[in-house]
Amino acid sequence: MGLFLREKETAPCTVTISHRFEELSAHVRLDNGAVIYPGDTVQVQGPEIMAAFGEMIEEQRTAVITRASKIEQLWTRATGDFEFMELCEFSFSEEVMS
Amino acid sequence: MNMHSSTAATAEEAIAAQEALPPLTNEEATQVAMSNTLLTPRFYTTDFDEMDAIDVSSVREEWDVLIGQMKADPNKGHFKKNEDWDDVDWDGMEPALKAEFIDFLISSCTAEFSGCVLYKEMKRRGSNKDITELFQLMARDEARHAGFINDALREAGIAVNLGFLTQAKKYTYFRPKFIYYATYLSEKIGYARYITIFRHLEENPEMRFHPIFKWFREWCNDEFSHGEAFALLLKTDPKLTESRMNKMWIKFFLTAVFSTMWVRDHQRPEFHKALGVDPKWYGQEVFRKTSEITKQVFPMTLDIDHPRWVPTLNRMEAANVQIAAGRKQGGVSGWVKRMAGSAKAGFAFVSLLTIPVEKNAVPASPRLEPAY
Repeated sequence: MGLFLREKETAPCTVTISHRFEELSAHVRLDNGAVIYPGDTVQVQGPEIMAAFGEMIEEQRTAVITRASKIEQLWTRATGDFEFMELCEFSFSEEVMS
Repeated sequence: MNMHSSTAATAEEAIAAQEALPPLTNEEATQVAMSNTLLTPRFYTTDFDEMDAIDVSSVREEWDVLIGQMKADPNKGHFKKNEDWDDVDWDGMEPALKAEFIDFLISSCTAEFSGCVLYKEMKRRGSNKDITELFQLMARDEARHAGFINDALREAGIAVNLGFLTQAKKYTYFRPKFIYYATYLSEKIGYARYITIFRHLEENPEMRFHPIFKWFREWCNDEFSHGEAFALLLKTDPKLTESRMNKMWIKFFLTAVFSTMWVRDHQRPEFHKALGVDPKWYGQEVFRKTSEITKQVFPMTLDIDHPRWVPTLNRMEAANVQIAAGRKQGGVSGWVKRMAGSAKAGFAFVSLLTIPVEKNAVPASPRLEPAY
């Protein structure tokens, strides 16, 4: 890991989207056991995955992991805790905060 | 207006009814009829080794009872639309109320969704069976709540877009103890918020302008039991609530969560007016219930009757209005206005932190049942 440099790597992943009445959820699992560290960015490749209402979709894709530089990782570790308000139902939406 | 599934007796029928609707399956029509809301949950990582090291054996008996209750899943059949789900006149709703109510539904859905993502991640990465089992059960509940809110949004013609998965998402970091404090508090205050509205509408049924409020009681009982699990987790390590530093963190979390709620609720005047709820009364009522509940594990409560408490919250709210105005205005003068507002808000927050707390002797066993 570079002090200032970001490095990229790819990993096979499984994307699961449930767009059903009884469950609304979306998850990405990295299938090669790659570990995500603070500040890393993950992007699933390919077109947008859309599940119609009532559907549950599972797709194999490739994810690009952009590793945070050491500096970024330390910064995220130090400041990430303050984003906890997101978990509250009355948290600020993006439009209000941005 | 889109037809909806409120006449369906079961979830399956509701799904079938909605799938059969042309506006939801025909892409072109969908674009016209449905406005698209991209959910933007955050993604978290934490110190999984530290989390795996949790040992619940000191609270084993209570832990097993609670997990047993959650596994039995008493609310499984609850989140279905039945005859209580009456028609909603979305077209006849005041536009300002409609906008605030939809904002309420979207932020609720996002919060449930974010909780689900966080819990699932903990479940997947952890190896401690007690902990992964808990997170799995909580992820289940949150996904179920999100699905239920999503359905209400669909009726209003709002399609939730899950396309964020193919956008770059950055993982932020939560220390495990912050996950405990933040989720414990968010679950308990969530319970207090939902039950306060539910009880108010029981007394004033004519104010219930949407059927989703009828589901709030069982919904918040899920929140309550999630909070119970975190109360037990906090008990496994006395340092978490007893060390001087951590006491300061707890005070910080309580103050941040309470003041954010105050500011945010005041941004929805029409919503509260329609419910017949004064946001100031509501805020204090929710704080009172939350404080009473958190005595189960936190060594202090905030003094919400202190003479400086409400006036300072009001200053914070005014500062927030100023920040929003500055942002809208733009340019250099808007920026100055925003910065001045931020300084006022920060100052008000520090002022809240200087209000002395009320000390609390924590009971040996934290377990509570929902009582409001």
